[in-house]
Amino acid sequence: MSAVDGNAGATATTSGPAAGRSRSARRFTLLVAGSGILIALLIVLSLAVGANLLPLGVVLDTLAGRGTEETRFILFDQRVPRTAVALAVGAGLGGAGALIQAVTRNPLADPGILGVNAGAAAAVAGVIVFFGVTDVTQYVWFAYAGALVVTVAVFALGSAGPRGADPLTLTFAGLALGAVLSGVTTGLTIINPDAFERLLGWSAGSLLGRGFDSLVPVLLPLLAGIVLAAAITPALNALALGDDTAAAQGVSVARTRVLSVLAITLLAGTATAIAGPISFVGLMVPHVVRWIVGVDQRRIVVGSIVAGPVLVLLSDIVGRVVALPAEMPVGIVTAFVGAPILVVLVRRRRRVIGL
Amino acid sequence: MFSHHPAAARFSRPAAVTGLALVALLLTGCSAGTAKPTASESAASGTITVTHARGEAEVPAEAKRVVVLEPVALDTAVALGVMPVGTAVLNEAVGVPAYLGAKAHDIASVGTVTEPNLEKIAALAPDLIIGTESRHSALYDQLASVAPTVFLASQADPWKSNVELVGEALGRADEADALLADYDARCAEVQSEFDVDGETAQLVRPRDGLLTVYGPESFAGSTLECVGFTTPPRDWQNSISVDLSPEKVLEARADLVVVTTTDVDDASTMPEAITANASSFPNVHLVDQSHWITGVGPLGGLAVLDDIESILSDAR
Repeated sequence: MSAVDGNAGATATTSGPAAGRSRSARRFTLLVAGSGILIALLIVLSLAVGANLLPLGVVLDTLAGRGTEETRFILFDQRVPRTAVALAVGAGLGGAGALIQAVTRNPLADPGILGVNAGAAAAVAGVIVFFGVTDVTQYVWFAYAGALVVTVAVFALGSAGPRGADPLTLTFAGLALGAVLSGVTTGLTIINPDAFERLLGWSAGSLLGRGFDSLVPVLLPLLAGIVLAAAITPALNALALGDDTAAAQGVSVARTRVLSVLAITLLAGTATAIAGPISFVGLMVPHVVRWIVGVDQRRIVVGSIVAGPVLVLLSDIVGRVVALPAEMPVGIVTAFVGAPILVVLVRRRRRVIGL
Repeated sequence: MFSHHPAAARFSRPAAVTGLALVALLLTGCSAGTAKPTASESAASGTITVTHARGEAEVPAEAKRVVVLEPVALDTAVALGVMPVGTAVLNEAVGVPAYLGAKAHDIASVGTVTEPNLEKIAALAPDLIIGTESRHSALYDQLASVAPTVFLASQADPWKSNVELVGEALGRADEADALLADYDARCAEVQSEFDVDGETAQLVRPRDGLLTVYGPESFAGSTLECVGFTTPPRDWQNSISVDLSPEKVLEARADLVVVTTTDVDDASTMPEAITANASSFPNVHLVDQSHWITGVGPLGGLAVLDDIESILSDAR
C-alpha cells in the first residue's frame, strides 16, 4: 500500500495541478485510515450483536473461554466465522467492482457483468438438481468453477471480434452469456422446486452458516486476487486514457485486460462462491471511493478493497436484528442500503469526474 | 417471506399463463369435437353443487377424471379411493410422494403445485379440478373452462376443513368424515399407548440456514398435539410456523424435538445449531419431510402418527 500512496503525483494520468494531487492523496489516506477504524469498531459490534441479544458480560466471558455451550456456539460457530467471511466478501466485491468499472470504462458496471453471478448460480443449480448437494458449504467450489468457466468464456467471446476485448464487446458478451445461463438456471429450478427454494436462499446472498470451512480454502485465491489487482492498477490508469494512448505509453492493453479479468474472477468469484451473489457492493463501493479519492485507479482499487468490508459487515449486522426472531440475508440489506445511495450518486453524477 | 420476492420477479408469469391459456382453449375445443363420452355421461347422471372459495360450482356427482393441484387434495382423493388422473407435485424430480403407495405413483404429473401446466391438465380431459385460491387464483377462469373447478381457500387453512371440502367435491363427504374419524381414533390409540401428557414436542425444519419451527396450527404440529404433546408456547405471529435465527436455536427446545430431512438415515442433515448444543437437545429425531411437511391429509397424518409411535416405542 505504501507504494500506492507514496508517489501518487508521479503517475501519468489525468491528474490536475499539484495542489489537487496532494489533496487527493490526503483524502486517500483518510479513507484508508477511516475504513480501518470503522472495520475495527464493526468487528467488535459484530461479536457483540446478533439475533440472540446476549449481554455484553456474557460475550466477554465466552470470549475469555468461559460461557455455556449455547454462548460458545453463538460466538465461535456463528459470529466469529461470519465476521471473517464478511470481511473477505467485502474486500472481494469492492476490489472486483473497482476493476470492472475501470476495465469496461463504465461507472455502472458491476462484477456480475462478466457473468460471475450467472455462472456461479448455474453451477449451484446444476449440482443441486443433478447431484442432490444440499449443504451451502459444499456449493463453494462449484460456484467458483462456474464463475471461472463463464468469465473465461465471456472473455473469449468478447475478444473474438476484430477489435479485441474492448469494453463494449466484453459487456455484450457478458450480458448475452449471462442471459443464456440464467435461462438454464430458471429451467433447472422450474423442474425442481426444491432446487428453486434452495437456490432462492443462496441467491439472496447470505452469511448464515458460512464458517471457516467455507472461507479457508478460498483465502489464497482471494489474496492472489488482491495482490494482482494492486499490481495492475498503474496500467489501468494508462488504460483510462484510451487504448491508443495506453499503447503509446508502453502498456500492453490486451495483457492488462486479461490480468484484470483474472483478478475480477478471483475477487468476485471468491465472494460469490462463499456468500452467493450480493448486490450493490461491487457497484457502490468503488463509486463512493472514486468520489472521495478522485480518478487515480491505484487509489480507487485499493480504497475499494478496504472500504468494501465496512459495507458488508455493517449490512450483515443490521440483517441480524431487523427480522427477529429470524434474520434478513445480507444481500437484501445491501440492496436496501444500496438503492438510496445509488439514487444520490446518480443525482451527483455531474460531480463525479469521468473514468 | 422476504426472500420470496425475487422469485416473483424472475418469472414472467402473465405472459406464460396467457400463452398456456390459449393452448388450453384450443385443446378443449378439440377434445369437445372428438367427444369424450365419459364426461358427458357422468354429467348426465347428475351433478352436485359445491360451495367453495370462488363461489359455487356444479360438479359431477361422482367425478371420474379428477385433477388435483394441492397436496391435501391428492392425499384425500387417494384415501377416498378416487385415484386422480393427474396431480400437481411439489417436486417434479420426486413426483408423487412415496408414502401414498404404488398405485398413486402412476398418477400423471401436471406440473408443479406452484406452476401447474394448463396444457397437460386439459389434455387429461378431467371432469373435476381441485385447486387452491391462494396459489392458483390467476388460473381459475382458465381451469374452469376446462372442467368444473373447486378451489380450497388456502393451504394454510386447518387441514381437516380442506379434507372435508375435497370430500364434498368428490361426492364423498361422509367417507371423508370417516377418514378424519379414523385419524382421530389413531391419535387416541397412540395417546393411550404412551402417556405423554404434559410433555412438549417441537417440529423443526432447517431451511436456508434458518430454523423453521412449526406451531399447533400446522399439519404435523397438530398431529403431535393430537397424541397428547403440547407445542412450547410462543408468539406464532398468526402463522403456522416461525423462522428462527440459529443463534436462537434454544427456543426450539422441547421434551421431543423432530427435525425434518430428505434422508432420515443421513445424520449429517441434522443442523449444526442442534448438534453443537447437544446437551440442550437430548431427545431429537430426524423425520422424513415428505410426509411431515408435504403429506397434508388423512394418509399423511397416519404416516406421521406411525413415525411418532415408533419414536415413542424406541424410547421405552
